[in-house]
Amino acid sequence: MVDDRGQLYTIEGFAAAIIMVFTIFLVLSSTTVYTPGDSHISNLQLEQLGHDVLWTMNLPPASASAQSLLQQYIGENNAVSFNTTFMNGINNKTGFATDTLQYSASVTCRDGSNIIQTPFAYSRNMTGREHAVRVTQWVLVQQTCPLSPGGPIPGNPHAMLVEVLLWRE
Amino acid sequence: MNDDAQWIILMGFIVSFSLFFLATVIDQSTLVGQTTAENVQDFGKNDIRDTRAVIIDAVYQDPTDFNNQNIQTDIENISLYRKGAIVNYSSSSYDGYTIIVMHYNNGVTVYNETWTSP
Repeated sequence: MVDDRGQLYTIEGFAAAIIMVFTIFLVLSSTTVYTPGDSHISNLQLEQLGHDVLWTMNLPPASASAQSLLQQYIGENNAVSFNTTFMNGINNKTGFATDTLQYSASVTCRDGSNIIQTPFAYSRNMTGREHAVRVTQWVLVQQTCPLSPGGPIPGNPHAMLVEVLLWRE
Repeated sequence: MNDDAQWIILMGFIVSFSLFFLATVIDQSTLVGQTTAENVQDFGKNDIRDTRAVIIDAVYQDPTDFNNQNIQTDIENISLYRKGAIVNYSSSSYDGYTIIVMHYNNGVTVYNETWTSP
């Protein structure tokens, strides 16, 4: 003889389970400590975006171009143009809205046995409270160390390191 | 005596255990995402690509200075001071081919490459 009492038990079991789980959820959620472990994932995305923008700027814009935009800006010590290009690169999105990323860039070069790091361009002054990631890019330029204005300075081939601190405001 | 309630409580426990099992699976996914992101950050993929690109670029842009220790000293010293990575490379020419032997070590990842091009 088959009857359907089991079905009723199962349905009531679900109802009882939901009540129990919900009660335990309320108890546990009132004591759980929040750990921001997921920040690594957004840091990774920020780092990749910054690196991609710097990488793109370090490619010659056309096959006839002798140097990339980044080489040009560092070679001329032109922080204003760097700021415009880099801000467009990190903040432009599809549509009219722009993102709110900010950065602070510096250039590191070698003068004899001294390693010199000089601030280059920035969109905000750093307060020390930012949760910033660092991206770097090598660039080959005709420049002195430290940087001097007024275009490429022939006879001074150097490899310099562009370092950018990037954060979301 | 009516023992229906006992069955209902028992079924409730069985079902809630299975729900907890599913919740544990979902909970682990956060941990997996975090450790993956950490590992990707520890592995200096972008650093290695960038370093090998600048070394190869140096051959084309400045062939005469290539073994003149100028750019090479730049790359090796700045890597050590600013990125904590030991970078070493040397080049040679054989039968019309340029051969570059590169070495990169940032303490976590070691990368070696022999690059050959006509």
